[in-house]
Amino acid sequence: MAIKEVIQTINQLQADGVIDRYAIGGAVGATFYLEPVATLDVDIFVAFKSEPGSLIVSPQPVFDYLKARGGTMEGEYIIIAGWPVKFLAAGTPLVKEALKESLSKDVDGTPARVFTAEHLAAIALQTGRAKDKARLLQFVEAGALDAPRFRDVLARHGLLDA
Amino acid sequence: MRLDLQKILESKRVLRRDLASPPVAEKLRMLDALRERELAIRRGAGSSDSNKLREEPARYQSKP
Repeated sequence: MAIKEVIQTINQLQADGVIDRYAIGGAVGATFYLEPVATLDVDIFVAFKSEPGSLIVSPQPVFDYLKARGGTMEGEYIIIAGWPVKFLAAGTPLVKEALKESLSKDVDGTPARVFTAEHLAAIALQTGRAKDKARLLQFVEAGALDAPRFRDVLARHGLLDA
Repeated sequence: MRLDLQKILESKRVLRRDLASPPVAEKLRMLDALRERELAIRRGAGSSDSNKLREEPARYQSKP
C-alpha cells in the first residue's frame, strides 16, 4: 500500500493518453505543503477526454484502463495499490483554474502534479466542511500561503466574503 | 502544575512544523502508515456502525 504507486499509475494513465491532465487535491495534496493528516482516500482531479465523435466527457476510459491493470471498483472509488482513488472532473471554475495552474513536484524521482497551496486552501474554503475549514487554518497557521496570490484566487472566484 | 497555554501552543506549532518539514516522499509514507493505523482502529471498533454520524463527502462545488 503506497501512495507513490498511485502517483506512478496516474502518470502512466496520462502518458498513455487516457487523460489530458491531472492534479492531486484533498488531504494528500495538502501533505505536499503541510504536516500529514490521516486520510482514507486519494482525490485526483482530472480533465477527462471526450470520446471520439462525442462532446460528452466520461471517466469510463479511466476505469476501463485501470481495471485492465488490476484495479478494482469499490463504489465511486477505484482501488490502486491498496488506496481508494476518486477521480473528480474539474467542474467548477476554481477547480479548472487549479488544474491549469497545478505544479509538478518530485516524489523520490517520480513527478507528481499537485494543486498549488493557494488553490488547495481556496477549494477547502469553497467546500466548507468542518475538516476543510480545519485544513484552511492549517495552511494559514503554517504560513504556507502566498497572501497576495491567495487573495487574488479568492477574489477571482467570489470567495473573499466566504 | 501550572497551565501555560502559550507554551503549549508554541510546542504544538513546533511539532507541526517538524512534521511538515521532511521531504514529500517521507510525508507520503507517513500517510500510508496513518491509513493502515486508521483502518486497524476501524476494524477493531467493529463494523456494525450504520447509526454512527458520518462526515458528508466533499462535493467540490460552489456554494448556493
